[in-house]
Amino acid sequence: MNCRRLVTPVACVAVASAVLTAVSLAAQQAAQPVVGDAARGKPLFADTFNCYACHGFDGQSGERRLVPLNFTQEGFITFVQSSPLPNMPAYPDASPQQLADIYAYIRTIPADAPAVADIPLLRDIRERKARVAAE
Amino acid sequence: MGDAVAKPVDSASTSSVDRRKFLKGAAAGAAGAASAIVTGAASGQQGAPANARPAVARPTEADASADFVPPEPRVDARFIRHPGSDYMVDVLKTLDFDYVAVNPGSAFEGLHESLINHGGNRKPEILTVLHEEAGAAIAHGYAKAAGKPMMTLMHGTVGLLHASMGLFQAWCDRVPVFAIVGHARNPTSVVNRPHSAQDMGAIVRDFMKMDDEPTNLEVFANIAMRAYTIGRTPPMGPTLLVVDSELQEAPIPDPAKLTVPRLTMPSIPQGDSAAVREAARLLSSAERPLIRTGKLARTSAGWDRLIELAELLQAPVDVGGYASWQDFPSWHALYGSGGPDYRPDVILGLELNDMTASVRAVRSSGGKTISICSEYLSQGHNIHDFGNYSEVDVAIAADGEATLPSLIEEIRRQSTGSATRLRTARGAQVAAAHKAIRENEIDAARYGWNSTPVSVPRMVAELARQVQNDDWAIVSGHQFTGQWQRRLLNHDKFYRYNGDCGGFGIGYDTPASVGGALAHREHGRLPIAIVGDGDFNFVGAGALWTAAHHKIPLLVIVHNNRAYHAEVMLVQRTAARRGRGNDMVDIGNVIRDPAPDYAKIAQGYGIYAEGPIADPNALAPALERALARVRAGEPALLDVVSQPRGPT
Repeated sequence: MNCRRLVTPVACVAVASAVLTAVSLAAQQAAQPVVGDAARGKPLFADTFNCYACHGFDGQSGERRLVPLNFTQEGFITFVQSSPLPNMPAYPDASPQQLADIYAYIRTIPADAPAVADIPLLRDIRERKARVAAE
Repeated sequence: MGDAVAKPVDSASTSSVDRRKFLKGAAAGAAGAASAIVTGAASGQQGAPANARPAVARPTEADASADFVPPEPRVDARFIRHPGSDYMVDVLKTLDFDYVAVNPGSAFEGLHESLINHGGNRKPEILTVLHEEAGAAIAHGYAKAAGKPMMTLMHGTVGLLHASMGLFQAWCDRVPVFAIVGHARNPTSVVNRPHSAQDMGAIVRDFMKMDDEPTNLEVFANIAMRAYTIGRTPPMGPTLLVVDSELQEAPIPDPAKLTVPRLTMPSIPQGDSAAVREAARLLSSAERPLIRTGKLARTSAGWDRLIELAELLQAPVDVGGYASWQDFPSWHALYGSGGPDYRPDVILGLELNDMTASVRAVRSSGGKTISICSEYLSQGHNIHDFGNYSEVDVAIAADGEATLPSLIEEIRRQSTGSATRLRTARGAQVAAAHKAIRENEIDAARYGWNSTPVSVPRMVAELARQVQNDDWAIVSGHQFTGQWQRRLLNHDKFYRYNGDCGGFGIGYDTPASVGGALAHREHGRLPIAIVGDGDFNFVGAGALWTAAHHKIPLLVIVHNNRAYHAEVMLVQRTAARRGRGNDMVDIGNVIRDPAPDYAKIAQGYGIYAEGPIADPNALAPALERALARVRAGEPALLDVVSQPRGPT
């Protein structure tokens, strides 16, 4: 069967209209990026997406530190939706709004990383370790 | 009845047992046991103060008859002067066991009684365990720390099945455990029928180096010696004796014909001299050699030899991300893989049962690979833990530790002055690369330093500070704390780390730590275990009771992330891949609602315990209090609520 014969002029107009509408919406979304809400992002981080499991309850004690977050919001959304990393799953179904909310929440987490020089315990270990290696 | 008092065979005398006269002691033991029973009963009635024990409600006659399970009828109702199990104990005493883990069972009641009354509960001393898996894991951890096997004694089928997971881990870890299972071969009671089997050893044969069921006492002695020597010969592994309960109970038929064999340990297989020479040639002429280890150091001599080899070659030593044994000092300048720019041209694998990655790494650049591994000597078995076949250039079927002296000697012989200068320069480069890596690692520890719950590096660092002046030993694995123990605690001695489970199965860490701590006790060391909450929940609490009961000092820190977190992430990844959302992945993976209170559990077993501790600032004082208990000779537990994972 030649499918092209089935495409009527009316249908063509309808499809074209729908495509134009979608393009227009996408353009509007691109022009107006979603605004994240940290309050909504916290339960998304802790419960809905269980981000804490790998990244720690504080976003910085896990296997990949999220704090400080170096992504832009757009970059973060793109990365999470299509992660190429083997241990980080991609979340294509996570909505831009959800990810913007999580992004906003992560940005509110204060970096809890005093310098090693300001942590006597770690400073001492670093010095002893260097001494041992030099022996 | 004779009037001799039963005297336990002294440990020092085991090597000089009068092999023709053991029955004299046996007779005395039996007599002593009998009189002790009578005496004990009399003193209980006549001499004990009325308030010596709290009043206990006595069962009614109906209760008693409902609960009563008739004992298995014995061979003969008459008095047995020379039971076979006495001879068994005399044989076992020649094997220099210090301890035997026992969870009692009727299939070995004869052996149990002989261990106590004929053997005097010394060499081996009975260690009461509350689960056979704990008994096997204790023996596993003990063997690695003590450098010699421990015995574990089990009931037919049910006890062996309970122990099977612990024995499996020992198999995968290539660690000898001397296991004995009692077997009521001809049961008449309804209770013991399921505890009997056509082929008892078949239950665990897939992960036993050998098993056998002796048919008479002479064969028992023979098989015991074989099991012990085979189990301790690399590749080492657990062995099993199935011991018929009738053989234990029946009188020795012809005492004059029985002797106790003398133990002769075989030498450990070393590498063929030509192959060792070729390996030395490749290593001597290498520009960038790399040493990789698996389960290398069986003894402190192996540890010393590896340091000697690494320093001779000035080659980095990569112990891998997951090392079940400790092979090389973790703060040594050569500890690591040489840094990101180090491209090895020769890789020496020592007891590394799979060198596929090494071969792949050097082959394209014309590099060479050498494998010295006892796994080549392994006999067939069902478990896929023997690793891939690797196309190495030199394959030496031998024990790594035993081969190191000849390899070192050959490298020295082949080394020239220019080679030595080259090595010195190489060593400096490697040390510099490792120094940069170490500083980055320490830097990673500061993230989440003050977070609640406690970060893994903070937990380990607080511990490191408090034990730095102790002769400590980590008796648990590293599996769930990443590399933080090695990074923050200087593993500078062979016994500092007792290794992981081998089989990647959960439930090993806590009981094996009790076994490791038991071995360290006589040396006055400070044993420490960091165990996952998931691991603790298997047989951990009961194992701690054993530590309390036998006064085994041990600090247990429960790294309590209230979940099986690896699995949280795995299910999460799968759900994401399938586009099904992640809000349900906690189901089946978390340990909350309610969160177990491990301190209370431990206290219930008679252990000093504190927790849950989620505030990092509360950790140091809690550690101080708990360590004071451990230094005084008792076990203690801290329940530390922790972040799910450690930073990398």
